[in-house]
Amino acid sequence: MKTPFKFISLLAFSLLIASCSEDDNGPTLDPVASNTASNIPAPQTGGQGEPTGGPFTKFSFATGAITTSDTEWDIAFRGTTIAVNGGTITGTNDEPERNGDAAAHIATGTFASILTAEGFTYAQDADTAFAIPTGSDNGWYNYNFMTNVVSPIPGRILVVRTHDGKYAKVEFLSYYRDAPTSPDGFVDESRFYTFNYVYNPNAGETSFE
Amino acid sequence: MNLNSFVITVFITLCSGLLQGQKSEQPKDSTKIQRLDEVIVTATRTQRQLSSLPLPVVLVSKKQVQQTGVIRLDEILNEQTGIITVADESGFNGVQIQGIASDYILLLIDGVPLLGRSAGNFDLSRLTVGNIQQIEVVKGPSSSLYGSEALGGVINIITEKPKEIQLNGNASYRFASFNTHDANLQLKQKKGDFGYTFFANTLNSEGYDLRPEIPGQTVSPFENYTLNGQIHYDISDRLKLFSSARYYRQEQDAQLFTDDVLFKGASAINEFNTHLRLDHTIAEKLQFQYELYYTNYTASELIESPITEDVFSQSDFDQNLLRPEIRAVYRLKPQHTITGGLGYNHENLDRTFFDDKVTFNSQYGYVQYDFYPIEKLNLILGARFDNHSEYQSQLSPKLAVNYRLGSSISLKASVGYGFKAPDFRQLYFDFTNATVGYTVLGYNVAVEKVQELDNQGQLTDILFSPDQLQDPLKPESSIGYNLGASFTKGKFKGDFNLFRNDFENLIDTRIIARKTNGQNVFSYTNFNKIYTTGLSVNANYQLAEGLQLSAGYQLLYAKDKDKKVALERGEIFARDPQSLQTISLNNADYFGLVNRSRHTANFKIFYELPKWNSNINLRVITEVHMGFLIAMEMPY
Repeated sequence: MKTPFKFISLLAFSLLIASCSEDDNGPTLDPVASNTASNIPAPQTGGQGEPTGGPFTKFSFATGAITTSDTEWDIAFRGTTIAVNGGTITGTNDEPERNGDAAAHIATGTFASILTAEGFTYAQDADTAFAIPTGSDNGWYNYNFMTNVVSPIPGRILVVRTHDGKYAKVEFLSYYRDAPTSPDGFVDESRFYTFNYVYNPNAGETSFE
Repeated sequence: MNLNSFVITVFITLCSGLLQGQKSEQPKDSTKIQRLDEVIVTATRTQRQLSSLPLPVVLVSKKQVQQTGVIRLDEILNEQTGIITVADESGFNGVQIQGIASDYILLLIDGVPLLGRSAGNFDLSRLTVGNIQQIEVVKGPSSSLYGSEALGGVINIITEKPKEIQLNGNASYRFASFNTHDANLQLKQKKGDFGYTFFANTLNSEGYDLRPEIPGQTVSPFENYTLNGQIHYDISDRLKLFSSARYYRQEQDAQLFTDDVLFKGASAINEFNTHLRLDHTIAEKLQFQYELYYTNYTASELIESPITEDVFSQSDFDQNLLRPEIRAVYRLKPQHTITGGLGYNHENLDRTFFDDKVTFNSQYGYVQYDFYPIEKLNLILGARFDNHSEYQSQLSPKLAVNYRLGSSISLKASVGYGFKAPDFRQLYFDFTNATVGYTVLGYNVAVEKVQELDNQGQLTDILFSPDQLQDPLKPESSIGYNLGASFTKGKFKGDFNLFRNDFENLIDTRIIARKTNGQNVFSYTNFNKIYTTGLSVNANYQLAEGLQLSAGYQLLYAKDKDKKVALERGEIFARDPQSLQTISLNNADYFGLVNRSRHTANFKIFYELPKWNSNINLRVITEVHMGFLIAMEMPY
């Protein structure tokens, strides 16, 4: 009995949206884009007890590519560590300056199930703590010391507010070059991110549909 | 098993049969041995006929071991229905019974326990089958007699005893692929009141490499020795002495390849057991056994760079167990037997990653009543109480029933409690990984060590307050149910058994603090509830004189109860193996615990050639793994 009602309300709702956008003569919204970023390198020096260092690889959701800009970046990669362009330097070596308003939240679900960026609590990088927690099982990845494999944790979806107040969702697929389906921790080259992302290019718009 | 190794097995079995044929010890007419009812001691700690026992048991005879032509214990047990050996997440091999991991299976030799486990796993390939009379396996919880560790079952290895006046013995030698040599020497004699046995075994191998593209071998070269001497002396008609000393040593090369540096080293295991027992018949109806057992297990490993001599890792392990026990068996009237025992365990362990040598003391007592209230009904009631210096006292009851339905069918049912005490590692470990930087702490030292790390400024976050870590760690426990029937008629023998084991308070690691280096501090806690349930079936048919067919099958479901609830709520995710994207799992996708095969089956044909005193056999053992990767991918 519930289905017809749901269906009708859905129909009414979509009609409403359709009619709104037709009637509105204001700026039309840019389409939400779904993309894959492949083999984003994330080199790092140090580690294994030594202080980590080396420049972060900066990424912009607006261009969908790596950038060397000091301001027009959203998230940045070094090894398994991810920085956001918002907040302050955490205190490790060679970090980029944070001059935007980026922030991050790790949501739980399938990629498709995260329909909006609304309702989450966002964190920014701060003194001694990254917005995306570092370490195995804390943030986006798990490290298996028996197999030496870093694998993204299933069900962890990164929701990002970009440096200029737009929203994106990210699902990490692989930490290895060319995203092998079952990486060998002793053979495959690591520190290459492959991820799916959906970016809403309209400032303040939180929808991922 | 590929065709090559199959051919080798057949060949070796044939050869060994011929070799043994030349020795003085001739097996008796085997068909007559078959007809005799087999006797087992593990299930009740008294001699009991196998057919009338109300418990699910597996008996592997010396004859079966010889026919199969295997050399180590894991190989022969692997061929029994519902018993498999697998490597767990830690990479160590262990035995699994009814889907229950090696941590929860007690290993005995002539009724006394063996030490020496790696991450909870007992490596059965440590034991040679060269001097065993029979292997007895009791499935299901048996803590009512044996205390800690007997949750999934008990494996008891019975060694050969001297019987004949003449000195008799045998020697055998086997050669196999990977330059593997196995040699046995056994001498036995029983003259009047005095008997002795001497046994020696050596096994060495060059090991093998399954992945030549990676430096280092899959199995490094090793050699090991087993020596066992026993003395049997009848002091009087009423007083009999048994003493046994056993020594095992294994040396193995070790290598490790990390950060483009090859590290080399060696590991050594030494095991020593001495067992002294007096059997005292006080009256016809009353017998006492006084037993003293001591065992020591040491393992050491040193890995260093062959060029710079930098030590990569060094570990030492030294465990001792001393156990005096007194048992009494009182025969109230025919077929009504009361068995009781009192004992004391003193156990200590000194190892790398412990601050100090740690000692456990425990006292225990048990009683069992085995009787026939009516002619066809056998009941076994038993309970054991364990009092321990480090954890809660445990009471382990057990009830088992056997009902004889006509001449060829008997019905069996049993329910029992089993427990495993938190081990030394779970209580006292203090380990920090040198390359990655994570820390694992035992439960009893966690509060103090976390405080220490915090004072050193190594922590960013402590997730539990000290009083949340105050309550002592509880023993892991299970309740097991078995229901089955056995059928014997003419040349056919068969049985089936339904089982269910409900586990509580399983101990696992959880994160208790976060470190400034981005890694975690882990400690142990009780949390998981799991169950294993299923069915096993065996059938055996004597097709013709000397030709025997046998088949077995086990169906197994092993699941985590908490995970089932999370699945129903849609909170469990996995990764699609092809697209690598997250998928949400439902109950139908959940295969269950890692490393469990839903279907295992075996099929064996034994054919004896009496003229040659030799035999040919064909054995097929299969396991079906399904959904393995999905289960592996689960977070938590």
